[in-house]
Amino acid sequence: MSVILNALVDLGYILIFPGFLFCFLCGMLLCGIERKIVARMQKRVGPPILQPLYDFFKLCGKETIVPTVANKTVYLAAPIVGLAALVVIQLFIPVFNFTAFAGNADIIVVLYLLLIPALAEIFGAAATGSPFAGVGLSREMVTIISCELPLVLVFLAVGKAVGNAIGSGVVFSLQTIAAYQAENGCLLFKASMIPAAIAFLLTIPGETGMHPFDAAEAETEICEGMLAEYSGKPLAVYKLSHAVKLLTLTSLFVALFLGGLGTGILLVDGLITFFFCVVVIICVVALIDASTARLKIEQLFKYYWTVVSGLAAISLILAWFGL
Amino acid sequence: MFKKTIIESTGKSPWLFHINAGSCNGCDIEIVSVLTPRYDAERVGFKLVGSPRHADIAVVSGPVTKQSLPRVLRTLEQIPEPRCIVTCGSCPQSGNVFRDSYSVCGPLSKYVHVDVDIAGCTPKPEAIMDGLLLAAQILAEKKKTGNQEATLPNPYAPEKTAEEAKPAEEKTEEKGEA
Ligand code: SF4
Repeated sequence: MSVILNALVDLGYILIFPGFLFCFLCGMLLCGIERKIVARMQKRVGPPILQPLYDFFKLCGKETIVPTVANKTVYLAAPIVGLAALVVIQLFIPVFNFTAFAGNADIIVVLYLLLIPALAEIFGAAATGSPFAGVGLSREMVTIISCELPLVLVFLAVGKAVGNAIGSGVVFSLQTIAAYQAENGCLLFKASMIPAAIAFLLTIPGETGMHPFDAAEAETEICEGMLAEYSGKPLAVYKLSHAVKLLTLTSLFVALFLGGLGTGILLVDGLITFFFCVVVIICVVALIDASTARLKIEQLFKYYWTVVSGLAAISLILAWFGL
Repeated sequence: MFKKTIIESTGKSPWLFHINAGSCNGCDIEIVSVLTPRYDAERVGFKLVGSPRHADIAVVSGPVTKQSLPRVLRTLEQIPEPRCIVTCGSCPQSGNVFRDSYSVCGPLSKYVHVDVDIAGCTPKPEAIMDGLLLAAQILAEKKKTGNQEATLPNPYAPEKTAEEAKPAEEKTEEKGEA
């Protein structure tokens, strides 16, 4: 009996909270808020907050064209694999002291899972055989490589800082980090962690393909790059996973640096987390998105491997010396 | 349940793809001005997309030159259904100042079903906005009826006499049976 009950609870986690349904609604809302804020910053009225939802449903109702030269299976499976990976990440990210699936080294799992959506998109784009997608996917690969180094350094710095405090090497468990923050206050207010936090915030636009790091999807020069051949439902799933990626990365930031705030009631904690996600989106992603123009791909690479990685490395060194 | 949401959303999120078929660039600039802060077409969901596969509404400007005709037709075919085709400016409707030129094969309506014509040289941004909103309504109508040549009832049409109205009624009945 309890086996069935456990399975049902797990299914609830996967499908409702913090799994698919939560990701769908919150991701779309975040995306809508981001678009609205960018519009307000440019003195426009801006689309309604629910605009991403309208876009999603509209795309669901459109004809799906599969190019004749495309590999149909890869072409159609790629968006779904990417979305599934993002939902799985969400299950590992703690909301205050609640985690759906916890492990000893979930940071490493998250790090690898974060690659899958981008990789799936690359495979899907390669399967279409479109030259625009080809240019887009080569740029996307560079973007992944650029974002990967600072991300790893940030995770190491946070792990080391928490590990020092509780006396056990580098910590790779998000739950331990959350528990540590609940006792000792947020890591964001620790002087040695501030550069790492800034580095993580700067990787969010790169990972989600926002300005100025959207060379891979440049719609004005390479016809939206990897998405050039997609239409209808697969495109809707891609748009959804881009929105969910915003949620994943911001809630990962909240879990790593602002984890200590909560009440122990799941619903309230969920709302607090979402509120922080919105703050991060408004203060960082939307601001950068509205005020910059697109970087060239080699500028992007250089920026991430010098400035952002440098910031993360400073934190790592400080944490290593126990500051 | 979802069908209704989809129809509603179709009218609320029309994505534009702009095709230049030999235009003098006047119309192109005015289309861009519709997206600027002053007119802000994004507040009703319009978005300029880079690939015809993502688009719902194709905005064609220019007199459709001999060189561009096959490309225009091919691009229009690539837009997934339901789609709307809007001509912007007088050029694609009549040829305008380029009329009777050896290199012009317009008007566009000779080749494809055009849903909305926005007249003017160049049309005002307000007129473009009006035309695009009309196209968005037609788009939702097309999704609802599944008919790719669906139109909206003309609000300016003279009132029909009883005899004229009859064939239309019969037609709808036939449809219901089918
Ligand atoms: S309608 Fe006038 S402004 Fe527009 S493309 Fe033709 S000539 Fe140029």
